[in-house]
Amino acid sequence: MMRLACVFALISLAALGLLIVRLDGASATVFSFIGMPALGLALLLYAVARWRAGAFSTEDTDGRRGTRA
Amino acid sequence: MDGTLPLFAGPPATHGIHWLPVLALVAGAGAAVLLLWALIRGRLPPSYGVVALVLTLSAYALASVHMLEGSKQPAFCGSCHVMTPILNSLQANDGSLASIHYARGLVPHEQACFTCHSGYGIWGGVHAKMDGVMHMVRTATGWYTLPIKLNRPFDIDSCLGCHAFAASFRAVEAHQDPDLQKQLLAHEITCTGICHPVAHPESALNGGGAPAS
Repeated sequence: MMRLACVFALISLAALGLLIVRLDGASATVFSFIGMPALGLALLLYAVARWRAGAFSTEDTDGRRGTRA
Repeated sequence: MDGTLPLFAGPPATHGIHWLPVLALVAGAGAAVLLLWALIRGRLPPSYGVVALVLTLSAYALASVHMLEGSKQPAFCGSCHVMTPILNSLQANDGSLASIHYARGLVPHEQACFTCHSGYGIWGGVHAKMDGVMHMVRTATGWYTLPIKLNRPFDIDSCLGCHAFAASFRAVEAHQDPDLQKQLLAHEITCTGICHPVAHPESALNGGGAPAS
């Protein structure tokens, strides 16, 4: 899933590169309608991958809760 | 006049380095390196992942501003096939109202289309950008018919924003007619076509071909 997120993010960056190198109607269309959805998908996949890895979990998984005080 | 001299090489805003695209490219390149690394290795340390995320989003934010600014240039409008004849007509000084404004420098050359078509005030700019998205959709899908037309009455305030307080404009007897003023403000009539030359020639609105019969 992380690899897929990277692929979509790289597609979005390719659209960005095209826009920077040659700003015209075609590159703006690619940036808006291919790059931005690809970036959105990459972010979604990255968030799901991080969630599945337990990044957003509030549950203490390493048993150290309450030991600092 | 030598167009290659520094003073005539372009509008003042075009001199110097364009930092916006440079920064977007640098941020994008940094993100691409991290993403390629993650793609090859199949994983990315969380801290590096955050850096890649921030760089990608920053690059997109900067590129979006660059696109919004760059899309005000006539060359951007004219880069789509349907608009190319209109841009050519504008630059040819063919007697149309738009070309008169362009040739005499009455509108900024680097924002000529945007100045008249964005409407007056800050919301005019917002509406123009929203319309621009639909222009891209229509151009990409071929979802338009010739001759191209405005999708709403032309915003008379775009004209009046410059002309209303000009002494030469106020001195014209026809402009002092209260009925005419009411009709103009109610969008019942426009400046062009009747009293003044058409904004763009019909052949240009038809994609450069012969006018529709």
